[in-house]
Amino acid sequence: MLGLVVKFVLLMAVNALVLLGIQVMLSAGEGKNVIYAVVAAIALVVIDYIYLSPRAIAGKYLLPGTLFLLVFALYPVIYTMYVSFTNYGTGNILAKGQAIERIEQNSIGAAEGAVRYDLQIVAEDAPTGALAYLLTDTDGNWFLGTAEGLAPVATEDVDQSTTKPTIAGYVALNAGAAQDRADEIAAFRVPTEGGEIQNDGFSEAFAKLQRLKYDSATNTVVDTVDGTAYTEKDGAFVSADGDRLDPGWRAFIGTANYERINSENVRGPFLRVFVWTFVFAAGSVLLTFGLGLLLAIVFSNERMKGRKFYRLVMIVPYALPSFMTALVWRGMLNQQFGIINRVFGFDLPWLDGQWMPYASILMVNLWLGFPYMFLVCTGALQSIPGDLKEAAVVDGATGFTAFRRVTLPLLLITVAPLLIASFAFNFNNFNIIYLLTEGRPPVSGSVAGRTDILISYTYKLAFSGGRGQDLGFASAISVIIFAIVASISAFSFRYTKAFEEIK
Amino acid sequence: MSDELVPEVVGKPAVAGAVAEASPVPPVSPERAAFRGVSGTKRTTKGWFLDTGWRHLVGLAVVVFALFPVLWVLSAAFSTTGLNSQSMVPEEVSLDNFRALMTDDNHPPFLTWMRNSMLVGAITSIVTVFLCALAAYAFSRLRFKGRRPGMTFLLLVQMFPNLLALTALFLFMDRVAKSFPAFGLGTTWGLILIYLGGALGVNTWLMKGFFDSIPRELDEAAKVDGATHAQIFFKVILPLAAPVLAVIALLSFVASQSEFIIADVILGQNDQQRTAAVGLSRFILAGFDSRWGPFAAGSLIVALPVVILWLFLQRFVVTGLTAGAVKG
Repeated sequence: MLGLVVKFVLLMAVNALVLLGIQVMLSAGEGKNVIYAVVAAIALVVIDYIYLSPRAIAGKYLLPGTLFLLVFALYPVIYTMYVSFTNYGTGNILAKGQAIERIEQNSIGAAEGAVRYDLQIVAEDAPTGALAYLLTDTDGNWFLGTAEGLAPVATEDVDQSTTKPTIAGYVALNAGAAQDRADEIAAFRVPTEGGEIQNDGFSEAFAKLQRLKYDSATNTVVDTVDGTAYTEKDGAFVSADGDRLDPGWRAFIGTANYERINSENVRGPFLRVFVWTFVFAAGSVLLTFGLGLLLAIVFSNERMKGRKFYRLVMIVPYALPSFMTALVWRGMLNQQFGIINRVFGFDLPWLDGQWMPYASILMVNLWLGFPYMFLVCTGALQSIPGDLKEAAVVDGATGFTAFRRVTLPLLLITVAPLLIASFAFNFNNFNIIYLLTEGRPPVSGSVAGRTDILISYTYKLAFSGGRGQDLGFASAISVIIFAIVASISAFSFRYTKAFEEIK
Repeated sequence: MSDELVPEVVGKPAVAGAVAEASPVPPVSPERAAFRGVSGTKRTTKGWFLDTGWRHLVGLAVVVFALFPVLWVLSAAFSTTGLNSQSMVPEEVSLDNFRALMTDDNHPPFLTWMRNSMLVGAITSIVTVFLCALAAYAFSRLRFKGRRPGMTFLLLVQMFPNLLALTALFLFMDRVAKSFPAFGLGTTWGLILIYLGGALGVNTWLMKGFFDSIPRELDEAAKVDGATHAQIFFKVILPLAAPVLAVIALLSFVASQSEFIIADVILGQNDQQRTAAVGLSRFILAGFDSRWGPFAAGSLIVALPVVILWLFLQRFVVTGLTAGAVKG
């Protein structure tokens, strides 16, 4: 009974929250997103059906985790693929409508021979009221400019009895009062047909013209001064001469991002990153496995005392948060100040130069990874039946031959899936690369440094390349990583045959 | 995320124990005879060295290799010098670095970072375990269409950690922030949601394996007594599965403490919402030499609970690592 009450309360809460969320997503504003709202509505129907129906019992248990999986793991993958076909990034982050608005706004400027006005700053009703400009043009015509627009004022309505003219309903601001509101005045604009009016000091103002105008009928932006037409191309307006108007907007650009990988400037760096990613992942696996296996054999002798102690000590590098150890090693390997150079009296540029950074990264990753391989190999060695080895020795094999011909093959069968998994993990081991070297040393003319792997290259392209965010291109690289990881897992599944064991 | 670590917590004993060399083998050489102690002769020093002594030499080398950086951080945390003049044994032991991190003027919001980390870790691990247990129960006890493909799918998903979709996560959370600022880009809640996206995966397999080992007769008995499937889940299965729930919760907590890249992208712009991993990394990357000491102190504080959990967990995890872990 209590269970039923809890269930209904929870279900009602979920309904209320999702409906509220849908309402937020449908209300106008920046967050308006009809597609997400529709998806949320469908999800709500599914949730209600599953938890109210007496059937679909498995669904009741699978749904919560699956929802998170779909929204925060699967959808991002699909979204990455979509973004990889767009020009998303710095300069192309807005929707088209916003971009046009911005272009038109940015083109407002003082035109040559702009109209100038004498200015009296006034405020509505009281000195603290809404700002307005009382303007006189060179012909002596009066205007009242408010935030809404510019309106002519009859000369006789202007009270010119003092040095500071006003009209009914407004009070003139003296210099002190204007100074108090200087920031507001600096931001104040009187919108006009084809431009706006801005102050120039406290006693003059000038008209600015909007130079660029969007024509929705022809989908072009026209320069009202020299008549240049800008037409749409790849999410931006571009003139016949190739001048691009900023900002652009996000647009579908087909396979351009993928073609860029093969372009002259990118091909070289990309290949270098690609090869190093494989070398790094494979090298890490081989080194950690080699050392781990060696130690597992050394410490497999039962009569050896203190094995538990050694195992405990070896867990420590594995247990420490890897973000921290990568940074600590970075300090230790510092050429000038690092302990390694100071203690051993070297002056080696561990993280700089042609080859040293590669060696240092592999060494640090060996430190991080060998405990895991040690544990794995220790476990695997114990699972190999002892009589097999004994039989080989009885048959006259030396210890080493017995190891090579009997133990090692059996061991590899057990650990092969783990080695593949470890390869896949290191393939995307962002922490160690980024925190140890940040991909440095840099290579001129490329975002990718000498030690960047694909995932850190993606990160730099998207978030910190120094050339703005290049999200579309970064996503294209991500998709390539997906493809590689998918191949690795297909390969690994063939070995583990995990499916067949599902009972 | 939590999916990095894949223990198998079946009832096997930890590594120690039955190694293969128990059965007698004909001696091949005098040395072998000596260290096997066959003919009852007293073991000589040489015999001892050839048998196990040299192994301790290797062990010593490994201990130095493994602990050197750790001792170095320890020393840095309690010394008063910068990176450039730090020595292995600090000349003067002081808590200055801890003070610099937490109470000095202009100190970074380290305690806020720690609180965020704890919050993220606690909520992520608890909810992960719950989501996992629900799914594992379905896979273990219920028979339904799509059960096998479902389990295969989870294994497949595991291969694509969501950090690969980094750019999309960033853009998605940016959009979420526009409708729901409390859960979008720059919030720890947003980060938690992303971590929960990785809740189902190999962890579900592990839990299913454990659930499978709980006798079905218990379910049957409960059913006969009139229990519903929900009651069986909450009152029979969950209490019996407590050890595996605890281990997966702890592992996912530990993993959330070291996760850097997603946290950095989601929280990077918001100093007050950062986790300790992101906060400390950005802190030290902005000035290595002068911030070395406080960084070391902060790292120790972050690492301490994690290492303790690990030492406590290792006997559960060690055997399981062979069953399909990914870290390394």
